[in-house]
Amino acid sequence: MNTVKGKRKWEPYIWLLPSVLLISVFVVFPIIIVFRLSFSEISKAGVVGGFNGFQNYIDAVNLPAFKTVMQNTLWWVLSVVGLSTLLGFIIALVFNQKFAGRKIARSILIFPWATSLVIQASVWNYIIKFEYGNLNNVLLNLGIIKEAINWRSSYQIEFVWECACGIFVTVPFVTFCVLSGLQSIDEALYESATVDGAGFWRKLFSITLPLVKPSLSVSTVLNIIYVFNSFPIVYTMTKGAPANKTDTMITYLYMLSFYDRKKGPAIALSVIGFVILCVCAGVYMLAVMRKEEEQ
Amino acid sequence: MKKPETVKQNRTALIILLIGLVLACVLMCAPLYTFQTSAYTKKSSNTFVGDEKYAQALEEVEEVAQQYREQGFEAQINEAVTERTNSKGEKTSLITFTIDQTFRKTVWSFLGSDLPSGHVLRIMACCMVLAMLCTVFGSIGTMNTEYKFLPGRTRMLRSAAGLFLLADLILTPVFVLMNNYAFWRKTSLYYQDLITDGKEEWFAKMDDFLFGGRMGDNIEAALKNLNADHSALVWVLLFCFLLSIIAAVQFRNGTIKNTMLKRMLYAFVIVVCVITLYPYYVMLITAFRSNAETLDMYFLHMLPTEWIWSNLKDIVSRGVPRYLLNSVMIAGGATVLAMLCGIPAAYAMARMNFKGKKVFLGFVIMSQMFSPVVLLIGISQLMNMLHLNDTILGLIFVNAAFNQAFAVWLLRGTFVSISPEMEQAAKIDGCTTVGSLLRVLLPMAAPGIVTTLIFVFINAWNEYTISTVLISTASNRPITVGITQFSSFNMIEWQYLFAASLLATIPVVILFLAIEKHLTAGLTSGGVKG
Repeated sequence: MNTVKGKRKWEPYIWLLPSVLLISVFVVFPIIIVFRLSFSEISKAGVVGGFNGFQNYIDAVNLPAFKTVMQNTLWWVLSVVGLSTLLGFIIALVFNQKFAGRKIARSILIFPWATSLVIQASVWNYIIKFEYGNLNNVLLNLGIIKEAINWRSSYQIEFVWECACGIFVTVPFVTFCVLSGLQSIDEALYESATVDGAGFWRKLFSITLPLVKPSLSVSTVLNIIYVFNSFPIVYTMTKGAPANKTDTMITYLYMLSFYDRKKGPAIALSVIGFVILCVCAGVYMLAVMRKEEEQ
Repeated sequence: MKKPETVKQNRTALIILLIGLVLACVLMCAPLYTFQTSAYTKKSSNTFVGDEKYAQALEEVEEVAQQYREQGFEAQINEAVTERTNSKGEKTSLITFTIDQTFRKTVWSFLGSDLPSGHVLRIMACCMVLAMLCTVFGSIGTMNTEYKFLPGRTRMLRSAAGLFLLADLILTPVFVLMNNYAFWRKTSLYYQDLITDGKEEWFAKMDDFLFGGRMGDNIEAALKNLNADHSALVWVLLFCFLLSIIAAVQFRNGTIKNTMLKRMLYAFVIVVCVITLYPYYVMLITAFRSNAETLDMYFLHMLPTEWIWSNLKDIVSRGVPRYLLNSVMIAGGATVLAMLCGIPAAYAMARMNFKGKKVFLGFVIMSQMFSPVVLLIGISQLMNMLHLNDTILGLIFVNAAFNQAFAVWLLRGTFVSISPEMEQAAKIDGCTTVGSLLRVLLPMAAPGIVTTLIFVFINAWNEYTISTVLISTASNRPITVGITQFSSFNMIEWQYLFAASLLATIPVVILFLAIEKHLTAGLTSGGVKG
């Protein structure tokens, strides 16, 4: 490391300046705007009035769909993050084995990660259509089912499909995070464990899991944030219909502010979401900082 | 040296293989399919069981059944009673008579038939005979020998047996699926007149197979209520093949457990890959279908009947090139900006010591946490203030800012992993800090920089939410927003939607594949290793 001489103390800050400026203007400033607006009176046309106290928050909590939406958000985050972490971990374990065609298999697994969520959601939306969807087409033509099945007969099932689509697009990220962790594990560890007579499960819990834990926890925290913020899947597949029953918080606040013209509660919801994210981010940061100190 | 253990294992495997094969042979002679049809249906008038009218109807049905019996069918008369109350309030019954026939078909009838599944079965039978021949010739005089002492030709024969069995294993479900298609799907499509080509021939074929051609003109009525069920023996057959294969492969690879695990691993990988690729298959085939075919209620075809390339021409005239260009501009601009701001910051973080380094690190990580969606309203207000609303430039700024953290993070990891000695040497030779960065560090860090570049580019390319809110002019839309014009509320033009999606996806996937090798390394140096 260069030691910075006395008169050039300011130099590092110049190097940082563009980055800080960019983040400040386009990330921090909107945060301030959102906070300020959440305490102001906003008319339907979006005209900002005076200080309003916590009225917007009270309005938001009293919205008829508030409870459903919060429950949905919780289910959405828990199921998508939980299941994709589990699936991603299993897939990574398998894809870390040596087998012919491993490279091709890994490349294929990248596809959902590289594809835009809107496109992915549109395709799944088409696949599970009852009247002409492709899943029924394939199953019927293969002779697996005798009659077309209505894959989205109720909104609960539609929500499950949305979660499945979320899992589908999240798994590759987890898999590659875990794979990067697995690759740094020394083969010799497994060999000596085998010599000591450790079985598959024993090796999994005593060697693999502890060593993959850092990558797994980072991917989990990042996923919580990404999945919480995920908008296109729900928006493309159901638009929250019927009556916000399948909305998550993000799609709900979008609908509120840009369709229902209820800017006040929408902004209050933004701040609530923001605070939830802050908590997650804080946990993540503490973890990273602690690792940084260890090194 | 012969190890008695492996010799014994070898022998056991051979015996299992033979048992599996013989069992499969026996199973193939057992009845595989049960068919049930009602050849004739008659409804009686309102009556009571045992009544005059009942007897009359029954007599009529008997007559028809007799005709069938004369033709050599085992016609069985079934009655179904529906109770109802007539206008006078008396309870009466409606009796439905059907002449049912149940018959079983063994492999031999399929082998001789002209059905598509018959062809499959013939191939299967050939494979099985070959596998048996291979096994028998391969095991003459070698029962007691360890694998590596087997003569070369014997090894080849056994491998061949394994391959033939594998073919059988795959073909068994194909056989079942083809039968399902023939007996339910294709026949019912002909009934509904959804397909008409070769209808007569098809019914003649079915008549030949099911009734020995005796049904003649009545075949349409007879097939209407056809019920075809494969017996569970088919799956036992599948299991036999599986067992034999495992035994055959075991000659080559040692213990059965390892072989099994390897098979299961492949099966798992194949399942994962198929599920992953499925949406892309849908996207591809739908992109080249006609509009009518994308909305086909009758599920006629799995592939487009005609590949309509003009769909591509149509989306070109609907503004897709413009959207793609916008996306290139937005993603490219955001990438350049993110790199211009990110490289100096990452350099300072990696090479300099200063107060507030931790604060900046925290600042960066925090900004990574907030996807723009929560801040949508704030961002759109900000854009109004800066007069950047509805402009490509505004999107460039937002995308660059929200990918900044990621860029700094990845770049810093790359820079830290490169030793600073070369730069110091360059500085001693009279290079400025900027010079050493440009001439020494950046070329050395090229792989990491390319990875970061592509990551940011893809993130910006795939961004959807902010663009929908900020952009209202059609000509400024990026492709992700542009494709939504094909799915308006009451009409979705799936073929155009997916054709455009295909164009939007292909370049990104190629870019991602290009950095696949560095992907895991990038993740490690960036997020994971800190």
